[in-house]
Amino acid sequence: MRLSLADARALAARAIQLTAADEAEVLVASSATALTRFADNRIHQNVAESDTHVSIRAVLGTRVGVASTNRTDDESLARCAAAALEIARYAPDDPAFPGLPTARRISPVNRVSAATRGFDASRRAAAAAAIIEQSVERGFTAAGTVATSDQAVAIANSHGVDAAMETTDLRATVLSMGDGAGSGWASFLAADADAFSPEALGDQAATTASRAASPTSLDPGSYAVVLAPEAVSDIIDFLGYVGFGAKAFAEGSSFLVSHVGDRVLDERITIRDDALSAETVGLAFDFEGQPKGPTSLISAGIASGPVTDSYYASTLRLPNTGHALPAPNPYGPMALNLEMAAGDAGVMDMIASVKRGVYVSRFHYVNVEDPMKVTLTGMTRDGTFLIEDGRLTNPVRNLRFTQSAVEALSHVLAVGRERTLVGPGEGGATLVPALLLEKWAFTGQTG
Amino acid sequence: MKDIVALALDAASAAGASYADARVVQTRHEDISVRTGRVEAIGSTESLGVGIRVIADGAWGFAATADLTADGVRSAATQAVALAHAAATTRREPVALAPVGAYRDTWTGPCEIDPFSVPLDDRIALLLAADEALRVESAVKISGASLGLLRVDKVFGSSEGSLIEQSYTESQAGIVAYAIGDGEVLPRSYPNSLGGQAVQGGWEAILSLDLVGNAPRVGEQAAALVTAAECPAGRTTVIIDSSQIALQVHESIGHPTELDRILGDEAAFAGTSFVGLDDVGRLRYGSEHVTVTCDATIPGSLGSFGYDDEGVPAERDFLIREGLLVGLQSSRESAPAIGRVSNGCMRADGWNRQPLVRMTTVSLEPGTWGFDELVADTEDGIYLETNTSWSIDDRRLNFQFACEIGWEIKDGKLGRMIKTPNYTGITPEFWGSCDAVCSRDSWQVWGIPNCGKGEPMQVAHVAHGAAPARFRDVQVGVGR
Repeated sequence: MRLSLADARALAARAIQLTAADEAEVLVASSATALTRFADNRIHQNVAESDTHVSIRAVLGTRVGVASTNRTDDESLARCAAAALEIARYAPDDPAFPGLPTARRISPVNRVSAATRGFDASRRAAAAAAIIEQSVERGFTAAGTVATSDQAVAIANSHGVDAAMETTDLRATVLSMGDGAGSGWASFLAADADAFSPEALGDQAATTASRAASPTSLDPGSYAVVLAPEAVSDIIDFLGYVGFGAKAFAEGSSFLVSHVGDRVLDERITIRDDALSAETVGLAFDFEGQPKGPTSLISAGIASGPVTDSYYASTLRLPNTGHALPAPNPYGPMALNLEMAAGDAGVMDMIASVKRGVYVSRFHYVNVEDPMKVTLTGMTRDGTFLIEDGRLTNPVRNLRFTQSAVEALSHVLAVGRERTLVGPGEGGATLVPALLLEKWAFTGQTG
Repeated sequence: MKDIVALALDAASAAGASYADARVVQTRHEDISVRTGRVEAIGSTESLGVGIRVIADGAWGFAATADLTADGVRSAATQAVALAHAAATTRREPVALAPVGAYRDTWTGPCEIDPFSVPLDDRIALLLAADEALRVESAVKISGASLGLLRVDKVFGSSEGSLIEQSYTESQAGIVAYAIGDGEVLPRSYPNSLGGQAVQGGWEAILSLDLVGNAPRVGEQAAALVTAAECPAGRTTVIIDSSQIALQVHESIGHPTELDRILGDEAAFAGTSFVGLDDVGRLRYGSEHVTVTCDATIPGSLGSFGYDDEGVPAERDFLIREGLLVGLQSSRESAPAIGRVSNGCMRADGWNRQPLVRMTTVSLEPGTWGFDELVADTEDGIYLETNTSWSIDDRRLNFQFACEIGWEIKDGKLGRMIKTPNYTGITPEFWGSCDAVCSRDSWQVWGIPNCGKGEPMQVAHVAHGAAPARFRDVQVGVGR
């Protein structure tokens, strides 16, 4: 069982008291998670876990040490606090360390669902069976997951920060594999399990798999593309990973460097990070207990600036946007709730406007080749279709792309009006529409 | 820890499990990261818990808890059995396990100097010195040095009578310099990218890397990349250094020969495999120069242990022999699909994860060439070093890798430097184009501590032995 919110807060306060430092911060994350995994039309893994993680950041002057443990008895907590303090004693002075942040008002957001908490092993198994059934009816094979998370997070520091929140989420995925190398994918993510329809999810994936059967080859080259939201999320996530964080900005490796206030993407593109959105999941505060809120990153193509935490807000003289990761953090602040503003196009309208192009359902194994141009390579997967004269024609075999995301998002022809929440849950997700891009470089194909 | 295992097994049996195993795992991490003169992170983490895996009603259930009170352990065992019953609602055939002996044993990995005993200020000083030594040229705008230590103590017990205690220490360190040119970031790492080299071993392994001594050369190469030539686009001969061969083996041989992937268990996440069950003994995977083993017995490798996480003894097995696929990495459940018993590849990322088929040390066995001899034998091509980007499709066929640095090869000699060369290919064609592998003199085991697989995600620490190798007619300069 995970700790209650009150117990998590009490544990954080107790650990603060045990830490004899100039400043102290404690993060308590207590979770109960479960995941039902199916493949070949049967459940093959059914797992559950409960754990409580306590992390203590001790500060002596401008020297910082962090230690963590999953033991919550007094002796273990005292040992953890002593370890953090010992590290701080040996750590060099960091003149740029601004001190731990003070308390700020956090906007309350309800991210707890009784339905998600009640989604037990029998309900997960029933959901998996319902998803599988949609593929079995078509003679296909299904694989995927139904997973729930229920956690309490409390963050306190010696300056009065006392942020605490409970969250739940349910995530489900399904890959439906048909005959002739056709496959389809669907996913669901929300705080509330009441919005989850396993049958609809299974049907969506199996329907795509039906359409994707017997794919043909397509010569690599530059094509107009319609990217479904799952594919767009990969692109936006990498913009966030290598471009929107203050560390990359400070070090000069972000595409935003020297371009704040400049048009860096097409005017149809507006991106912000908003953990308070009613449509997303996760915490309303960061891992320093600072409030999150809407943070503009790209406004009608114009760069606004990076997301920050207390350290980078101080060193860059920018506002603290509340994007700290747990300490010690060598990655810098990160945007965990990116969202792209919706446009006014329907996906079928986008397809109808393309003379010859490619529809991409999702990407697979995307990685960065050039962080400043955000040049990415990866594969298409689970439903790639040729668009000819305004309609989807042949499914095509999976294609490799090698493409600068910055360049591609500088030539946007349409933005979808519907948005989908995509992501791992448990703290972050990306809310994105479909996009029609003028050109996308496909550089290879699996034979 | 043994008492907890015994309690878990008794509780699982009482709850109706027909089979159970339990692992109590205690881990201790310490990590230090230095960036451009600043110690940006020092952290210490401890974790302890138990994972209980059961078969009930012919299906698997797994529950893990950090609550190691008697009630907490019994509750987790009962929960594991309930999860198995829920899973059984969709099963067709009951889970059947290949036989394994009952072992009562202990195993300890190598460690000469306990790295946790080295004073923290000594560790910090080493990294700060290496970091500073990287910044030899003004073009190096960012420098970094990092060090990670891990200690694992675990006890495995099964309802079939095994009780196995294992302990090991891992040490990892590396440095990286980033030159920033006109709109590009150019990394140069030592001894490998993504945190450097990782081994089972102690402080002696960190010292052997000589981070400070190598830093100036690494910094100079990073700076030189700013004005280096772009990678030409086209098809050519490539010689690939051992660290990149290690990742090439990992992605295009290691993963596709995992039997659980072939059986479809990873289809929705990591993907499946182009390899089929019937391919064992038939598939021509590569040229006659390509022989690949999976070996959990190599001293000091991240892929080594005494027993895997379902109690199967470590062994060395062949996956590819002179180009022919002859074996797969397996578990007790999956091995019967190819008519074999497990070759000991079930590993879990800690107490809170159910074991999966994972790589141990999957190695390209050494050939006969000297490196200088191989370059001299190459009329025209590119030599590539150190990975910077990797991607492969869901069946492990279509891959693309980029490296930090390359050099033209002209008339048997290394020529001008090339920045961030990349190459792409299709797995069997690529390995079929291998016409030379260097000898044991340049063969090295590389640790890869970041192999992701499974849901919930598990990060495995695996390794690959590799030597530089040559491949003909490879597409390079993709998208350039």
